Amino acid sequence: MKLNDIKAKYRELFVVEKAPEDKNKPKDVKKAVKDFWYGKPHEERRLGDLYVGDTGLYKHREWRGVKDTMYYFNMVWLYNYAHMVTDIMKYGDGTPKSVVDFAKGVMRYRWMGQTYLTVMHWFDRGMEGMRGEAMRASAWHYRGMVSESIRQFQRMFVSDKKIHGGKEPETWKKNIAHNETVGGSFFYPFMDELEEVPLEMIPYFVSVHVNSHTVLNYIDAAQSIGLPSDPCPMCQAEYGLFVLDDYPDFAPAMVTSNEACDGSVATSVLQDWFLNRPLYALPQPMRYDDPLVQKHCQKEIENCWKFIEEQYGIKFDWDQYVKHAEAYNKLTEFEWEKWDVAANTPYYPISGVAQALYRIYYSQVGDRPIWHEMDEHVKRIMNKTVKNKIETFPKTRHRAIAWSCAPLYYSHWCTWAYNCWGINCVINMDSLMFDQYLRTDTYEHALEDLAWMNEKAPMRAMAVGGHEHILSLFDYMERFNCDMVIMYDQLQCKGMQGIHGVFEDEFRKRDIHAIWIPHALPEKRTVSRKEIRQIINDYMTTVMHEEPLDPTLVDFDDDKSW
Amino acid sequence: MKSIWKLLGKFLGFTAVVYGILFAVFYWDLDGKFMYYIWEPMMIKRFDNMKRADNTSIPYLQKDKVAPDEYTQIL
Amino acid sequence: MKDLVHIFELEDLLQEANNELIRKAKDDGKKVLGYTCYFMPEVLLDLPGCVSARLRAPRSTSPDMATYYMSGRTCMYGRCLLERALEGGFNFLDAQMATETCTVTCRFQEHLQLMDIIQNPNFFCEFTDVPFKKNDNSIEHYENQLKVHVLDKLHEHFGIDTSDEALLTAIKEHNEVCRLITEIGSYRKLDEPTITGTEFSIIMLSTLVCPKYLIIDKLRDIAEQLKTREPDVKKTYRCKVVLSGSEEDDPNFIKLIEECGALVVADRHCYGSLPGREEIVVKDGESPLRAIARHYLGTSSCPRFMEQHVMRQRKQELADIVKEYKADGIIISQMKFCEYWSYERTIDTIVMQKEYGIPVCSIEKEYVNNAVGQLRTRFQAFVESIELKALKNNDNSKKEVTA
Repeated sequence: MKLNDIKAKYRELFVVEKAPEDKNKPKDVKKAVKDFWYGKPHEERRLGDLYVGDTGLYKHREWRGVKDTMYYFNMVWLYNYAHMVTDIMKYGDGTPKSVVDFAKGVMRYRWMGQTYLTVMHWFDRGMEGMRGEAMRASAWHYRGMVSESIRQFQRMFVSDKKIHGGKEPETWKKNIAHNETVGGSFFYPFMDELEEVPLEMIPYFVSVHVNSHTVLNYIDAAQSIGLPSDPCPMCQAEYGLFVLDDYPDFAPAMVTSNEACDGSVATSVLQDWFLNRPLYALPQPMRYDDPLVQKHCQKEIENCWKFIEEQYGIKFDWDQYVKHAEAYNKLTEFEWEKWDVAANTPYYPISGVAQALYRIYYSQVGDRPIWHEMDEHVKRIMNKTVKNKIETFPKTRHRAIAWSCAPLYYSHWCTWAYNCWGINCVINMDSLMFDQYLRTDTYEHALEDLAWMNEKAPMRAMAVGGHEHILSLFDYMERFNCDMVIMYDQLQCKGMQGIHGVFEDEFRKRDIHAIWIPHALPEKRTVSRKEIRQIINDYMTTVMHEEPLDPTLVDFDDDKSW
Repeated sequence: MKSIWKLLGKFLGFTAVVYGILFAVFYWDLDGKFMYYIWEPMMIKRFDNMKRADNTSIPYLQKDKVAPDEYTQIL
Repeated sequence: MKDLVHIFELEDLLQEANNELIRKAKDDGKKVLGYTCYFMPEVLLDLPGCVSARLRAPRSTSPDMATYYMSGRTCMYGRCLLERALEGGFNFLDAQMATETCTVTCRFQEHLQLMDIIQNPNFFCEFTDVPFKKNDNSIEHYENQLKVHVLDKLHEHFGIDTSDEALLTAIKEHNEVCRLITEIGSYRKLDEPTITGTEFSIIMLSTLVCPKYLIIDKLRDIAEQLKTREPDVKKTYRCKVVLSGSEEDDPNFIKLIEECGALVVADRHCYGSLPGREEIVVKDGESPLRAIARHYLGTSSCPRFMEQHVMRQRKQELADIVKEYKADGIIISQMKFCEYWSYERTIDTIVMQKEYGIPVCSIEKEYVNNAVGQLRTRFQAFVESIELKALKNNDNSKKEVTA
């Protein structure tokens, strides 16, 4: 390599070019010191200049002022790297062997080796441009998700037959696998004896958010055995894992579900073939508002419990159920508190992406200690912002509600939209799921609420059971004081495509600003992130006639980024 | 006493150097660059070349009925 | 073969949803009840005083208005139904008895509820929840649903008698149709079938879209004629196939397959008779409604059933049909954008060939059959491959005999 090449590479990787208008400006030391100490004002940040080409890497991470940069370095970057190591130990078998199992997992599974080590960039993307309490609270939500992800994959690895030469580790018999859309709450009665681990949550769902490259292998694999390309790519990826033999064998039995759509039901058929072990199908009724469906649903849950008892030789434990349901209620109570602040004040300290991902993650997984720990941190921050009237997203021009299911490879679009256009995504559809308090006074009440809560699980609560559910957007829009809708247009979701025109009619009738964002869940090749940004840019300039807050973010390429 | 201070000083100095290095790694996104340019291509190569079982060769019909009658059969 | 009696008349009846016999039934004071899915038991919609009409959108072209409402990325069957409804083609319906059994037809039916499309002041659309399993809990649930969302609504809106006696009468009439269709269909099992797939599909479809009391005599005549019908002296087909898959209500598609040399001897798809035309048996001590609920859950082979043994049984059932009808292969056809059948087709394509040694032609098609040329090529190639296989098998068995 020639010296010039080295210099060019160095410039490409590390040197941030000055803005043309700044090049001939005289040096203003006072301002430079102020910017150093407090960070640049929003409009002067030029975040787009920090990217290394289309990689999404940073020439250098953002300087957020001394206080916030040091917080981010110490309490986000260092803290999380350090805790990842301790979590790997903690959630393994507590011995150094956990690290060996972890390393084996890294080398055996693509979704692990290629994906999760890049996790700090997931934080960076989600928290770009954030300052103060918003950055702090959002980072705690991310930390919770990382810890839970480590619990899940470490449990898989320590129990995995495949990385233990085909032998059953002791923990194998104590795990139950379930479809990622089966709520963790179903397993509360057995939680002292049984570890529940969703089968695809880590290999597929979370992985796409962290590193969107990996999942493409699974989608291609699904189609390689003859599946057409149009079914929901989430389901395709879920079964592509099996086609590529890239799933860990960590449990003797499986619980599956029809949640959230036809594709999920159909995926179960293929998964069952490849898993080839006892399986219990736990269906949720489609017309869930109908009071008549409840008994049927409750009976299926009870049968699922019987299945677990028989497969594992353990007993339903009411006390365990009560303990976890009540603990989970605490999370729900705080969630309602958060909604209240988000809906009625500008002091809500959590970004759109942190809110969406954390909510869907913890509500799906159910009660775990880490969520309580994180909620305590966030509660402290939110109390402070409310008490001191700290506007957490001060450049907000529009309060948006995001509806339908989000692009997994670009769930952080809202961070960009705020930085570039001042669109503050206050709430999203999937955050409004599982909206149910679990009574524990009697067994009958408990069963009733558990069934009802899971009938309102992510994606299905709004998408099935009658058009009034999906059209509740307009009520929520009012409740959260939003003036704009970001309408996710999942191109391969038949349920949402099937009601597309009704939304168009309603938006026109109600004179609502709605931006349709086409995407294909995990499949970034269908609609790229850049195309998504372009759609928003076009709307903001041609319809809203607004100027960007940060012009460097209007047009940039990140096709190859994680 | 002097040696304790010296030791402490050395420790603090060492910690400061390590802290400085870590900050440099953080600030210049060296962790990201390592992952992107070195680790990920290595892993892609590894996983692309990995031998994988053909799961479609699992006999489909081998499964015996696995769940008790009461929740699988029409009674 | 000599033309089947009534076949051209029945074919004409399939040309529009509001056909002559539906109009006649309306003139007779019957309420016409639309439905789309096997899970809405037609026997309940054929109670005295009403008639069932399984919705089709024959002679559809481009469903432009429906594509605005449902986008171009949903099953065309659902879109064509909505288009037909928007055009006023379903205004004859007095009610739509809906099920949320697959996403797009559900959305179509929700649009009927939401958008005030059907120009009939008394029209209503009522949904029934259909379970995903075949166990006792599901049957009980389904029975309750049918009682509240079908029987009670029919009584409430139209004063229909929904007593056990009325149900038994409806079952009896329904079983008569099933018996006739089964009898007519049984001629497809012969070594040299005396009915073609196209003819059978016309007859079968007409029983779904016409009032049964107005066509039963025609079915009897056809059954009678088939007793003595002789096959053609010279075989007009090169192999026999089972047609399996999703929604299929176009006899011209069957005709296309048969023009390529493959006689369709069994119809295991949404509008087919396998399953679909089994008689309902009311067990001792069982209420008629319970028997209906048990029957429809028990006989359905829909890919939405999720129990492990049911999922696996479906493959065996398909293989059994191939054997029973002496077919040489299977054509698995899936409506584009049908999620259930995209997966079922994929797995059937692999399993039926690998585990049963049955040749499979796996296709994806639209409701409005535009890609005739491509499909023709696929079917011709499939027929040739079956013939080649047969030749190879003959050669091998000759060699074995010589040895």
